[in-house]
Amino acid sequence: MTTTETLAAAARIVNGTKTYGDGDAAVTALHEVNVEFGSARFTAIMGPSGSGKSTLMHCIAGLDRLTSGEAFLGDTLLADLKDKKLTELRRSEVGFIFQSFNLVPTLTAEENINLPLSLGGRSGDREWIDTVIDTVGLRDRLSHRPSELSGGQQQRVAVARALASRPTIIFADEPTGNLDSNSGSEVLAFMRRAVDEFGQTIVMVTHDANAAAAADRVLFLNDGKIVHDMSEPTAERILDMMKSIGS
Amino acid sequence: MIKLALRGARANLGRLILTLISVVLGVAFVSGSFVLADSLRSIFDQVSEDAFAGVDAQVRGIENDMNSTDGEIPRFDDGVISSIAKLPEAQYTEGGLFSFERAYTIDSNDEVVRPTGPPVFTGSWGGPSPVSSFRILDGEPPTAQQVVIDPVQAERGGFEVGQDITISLPFGEPEVFTLSGTIDFGEGGTGGAFFILFDLPTAQRVLGLPGQVDSVVVAAADGVSPDELVTAISAVLPDNLEAVTGEVVIGEQKEDFGSFINIFGNVLLGFAIVVLFVSTFIINNTFATLVGQRTRMFGLMRSIGASSKQIMQMVFIEAGSIGLAASGLGLVGGLGVASALKQLFSSAGGEFPEGPLEIRTRTIIVVVIVGMGVTLASAILPALRASRVTPLEAFRSGGKTARPLTVRIAAGSAVLLPGLILLAIGMFGNPGGTAATLACIGIGGALTFIGVSMLSAMFAGVVAGFIGQPVAKLRGVTGRIARGNASRNPQRTSSTVTALMIGLALISGVAVLTKSILDSFEEVLSESISADLWVFESNQRLEFSGLLVDQLAELPEVGQVAGFSPTAIRIDDEVLTATGFDSSTGTSVVNMGIVDGVAEIGREGIAVLDTVAEKRQLSIGDQVDIEFEDGYATSLNVRGIFDDASVIGADWLIDRRLTTEHRITDGITFAGLTYADGVDPAAGRAAVEATTSSFPQLSVQDNTEFQEEAEGQIAQLQIVITALLVLCLVVAFFGIVNTMVLAVLERTREIGLLRAVGMTRRQLQSSVRWEAAIISLFGALLGVVLGLLLGWAAVIAIPDSFVSKLGIPWGQLIVYVLVGGLLGVIAAWFPARRAARLDVLEAISTQ
Ligand SMILES: Nc1ncnc2c1ncn2[C@@H]1O[C@H](COP(=O)(O)OP(=O)(O)O)[C@@H](O)[C@H]1O
Ligand SMILES: [Mg+2]
Repeated sequence: MTTTETLAAAARIVNGTKTYGDGDAAVTALHEVNVEFGSARFTAIMGPSGSGKSTLMHCIAGLDRLTSGEAFLGDTLLADLKDKKLTELRRSEVGFIFQSFNLVPTLTAEENINLPLSLGGRSGDREWIDTVIDTVGLRDRLSHRPSELSGGQQQRVAVARALASRPTIIFADEPTGNLDSNSGSEVLAFMRRAVDEFGQTIVMVTHDANAAAAADRVLFLNDGKIVHDMSEPTAERILDMMKSIGS
Repeated sequence: MIKLALRGARANLGRLILTLISVVLGVAFVSGSFVLADSLRSIFDQVSEDAFAGVDAQVRGIENDMNSTDGEIPRFDDGVISSIAKLPEAQYTEGGLFSFERAYTIDSNDEVVRPTGPPVFTGSWGGPSPVSSFRILDGEPPTAQQVVIDPVQAERGGFEVGQDITISLPFGEPEVFTLSGTIDFGEGGTGGAFFILFDLPTAQRVLGLPGQVDSVVVAAADGVSPDELVTAISAVLPDNLEAVTGEVVIGEQKEDFGSFINIFGNVLLGFAIVVLFVSTFIINNTFATLVGQRTRMFGLMRSIGASSKQIMQMVFIEAGSIGLAASGLGLVGGLGVASALKQLFSSAGGEFPEGPLEIRTRTIIVVVIVGMGVTLASAILPALRASRVTPLEAFRSGGKTARPLTVRIAAGSAVLLPGLILLAIGMFGNPGGTAATLACIGIGGALTFIGVSMLSAMFAGVVAGFIGQPVAKLRGVTGRIARGNASRNPQRTSSTVTALMIGLALISGVAVLTKSILDSFEEVLSESISADLWVFESNQRLEFSGLLVDQLAELPEVGQVAGFSPTAIRIDDEVLTATGFDSSTGTSVVNMGIVDGVAEIGREGIAVLDTVAEKRQLSIGDQVDIEFEDGYATSLNVRGIFDDASVIGADWLIDRRLTTEHRITDGITFAGLTYADGVDPAAGRAAVEATTSSFPQLSVQDNTEFQEEAEGQIAQLQIVITALLVLCLVVAFFGIVNTMVLAVLERTREIGLLRAVGMTRRQLQSSVRWEAAIISLFGALLGVVLGLLLGWAAVIAIPDSFVSKLGIPWGQLIVYVLVGGLLGVIAAWFPARRAARLDVLEAISTQ
């Protein structure tokens, strides 16, 4: 199934196939996938475990390479890039929020937020970063180290870090998976605001229908293929869909 | 259990290999020391046995506490030879006379032919005989005005048998002798020494000892046992002589060589122990880290029923297998070390005789005990910690429970304080005997280092953070991450660099001491010396003929000249050292700081060092009863009290006429002179050199040259010691590699994250290297500061007559700190590359 969007794409995959291993042991994690992620939109990816959600995200984020097909970030064809360029691209064009262990323990919250910028030797847009910090409500925690922050606060720092460099796209792999529901909805709310107020593009992998409902669009994966593309999702519709996929 | 432990060892093989290397280095050095000493002992035992194989009895002067100075043995009248030869028990009798560094062959370029380390012996040889220690290789034994030498010397000088060669003699002008043949000592070469042998009358003449011998060797008649021979000879000997069997002589000879080899072997062993000691910190650190990383596994094992004893056994079995492997490799490595050391010392001038390397059973046992012992001992604390892991800890994520600060301070101080006390006793006190002193210094030093290492964990984080400040400033976030990692685990930081700290502490301690010796020496030269020129034996400051003083005094270019001659004296039943000097001229070349009376003591006078005068309650005008080497006793009048013994080298000064008459030799160790008024220094020097040219072993130097030469020699010694200590740095190096590998492994997840959010491989490598650099700089700084303190303590402990002031070689110390930092960067090379190569995705998904 092919999904297209009218808006300019922040990232896309054309005929993307990803196979791990070879011979009998080969596992096809992505199967000729075509997908575009529109600018300034919040997309959720759902699907049973092992359906290829992480793989899809990794391949489009420049963390992994497709076996065949093409992955673009903006207009850049990732296959053309060597490790150094790819790293620089991740640094400036991609934001990451992982499920846990998002922060460098030896750096303060502020240093963690600025990390991608400082790695590129840039100071970034100070005003913007200030706005981000205020938005996630971390002003009074800036000089703390990750070990001194709660799980929710740590994830908020991660969100702020992902936003700080105004990347083309942010990938979040189950960002609320390790949080209690209060902290989880807080983090989701910030992501939502980033999309609405700042025009940020976000792609989020999640298992949680309520979390996915915060997105503009939900893609359903099964066996390495996109099986459904849902706009204006609600938790109810999502759950129904998941049931029909059989997860 | 054993299987599990071995599997654990195998799973961690990569990390353990580095640990293994550091143990192997230490063990190899230990086994190398034994192997080398044993091999040398065998070689020299063989030489001794060959040399005295035919000797049934030897007659010699009885040594007493006074007459055995300067390595010369007592001489006696050769009339005794004929009375022994007449005995029916004696089949063959031969008198011999030997001395060393007295005569030299001179080659066609007018250069003296001499070896770099070992001495040149001059003596007599009666030709092949049942008692001969020498063996003719080529040509004939020497007769009048003929000489035989060893083949190495002949080759070096380009001498052919049958040729006339010039030989410089201790008295008078050089003479020409015909080289009648070449000889070999025993069967085993000459061990690097040179021999110049004449027939007995010629030897007596050239050595200035007419009618004198220093030994008579006798072969027994058929059917006479050595003991019977000795009894028979003893009956005809005067009181000052004794007869012993050849077996005794061989035994003594072996012992003589042996004691030298023992010293040599023990010094090497000392270095080996330092290296081993240093490697224990590496082993300890590795096991501590491995245990820490496996806390959860141990917890799991406990929860499924493993007892805490079994967990402990597991760690010990792992350590034991490392120890055993290290012992085996170390033993083999010891052969390499032994030949490398041989190479090192022969390149530094000493020549070792050829011979096979020998591994004795004792070496194997010692090496296995040492290798296993060191490894197991280092694993004790980690094993204890492993055994204390509770089953619950399998379910907790590794929250390390660091011991509270107060406990750590208490533990560190409990080790450091006794260490410092022992060190102080060893350096400043008098615990009784060299062995006790060395034991105090050794154990005290070890405890001090352990204590400092334990305590340093308290400030390692802060100091590393401080050192990393500029790195963080200059290198941006990469530097900040490096700095953060360097200070995040102070315990590990401090134990990682302990080896580096100890190595650099010793090296810089030696550097401080060296500089202090040189500075003190310079001070002595400027304050205590007024001579324009010095004359001394250039190789080992051996004695030379006092007649030279008279010859120099006759030169019109020379103003004043004084010779100095050390001698044993007996005062109040105590054997002491006095220096005989030309008391009428001495003050013009040396300033001994007369505080009372005069330096011109004359033949009946004596001068004494102020502190000694005080202790013995002597003042000007008192009489001192004194006995000389030849037994002559007299009473001398105290005419001077001085306070600077740095040049004289003794607490007592007497007139040289006394030493000339009452010592075994008339030798002096140096002479100083001033030019006559208005003499151009160049002309004066030329005249002096013309006079000394008949003594080619002598060197003529002014104060600057003298100082430069001393500097050169001390610097060379420093280089040798430093070279041996560098092994500690090698061990330290592997320790740093090891820690960095473990640290990178431990931080895989974090590295994945950094790479994902945009850290390039290059930046990652750079941050790992900077981290190692900061850690190493911390260790190096700590080591150099400790070294400075050790050097300072040594300067205080060593008598002022040798080292009077502290000299700090700032340049060297700074270089050492930088070298330490660089060592860290190089050590991190491989771990940094490894970190950079990690696959980003795999790294992030690591648990
Ligand atoms: N590094 C890998 N090597 C081999 N197979 C992999 C690897 N990563 C993922 N897979 C396989 O690819 C498929 C998709 O994995 P993934 O993208 O992680 O799924 P999801 O994130 O939806 O759970 C699974 O069958 C998984 O086992
Ligand atoms: Mg996944």
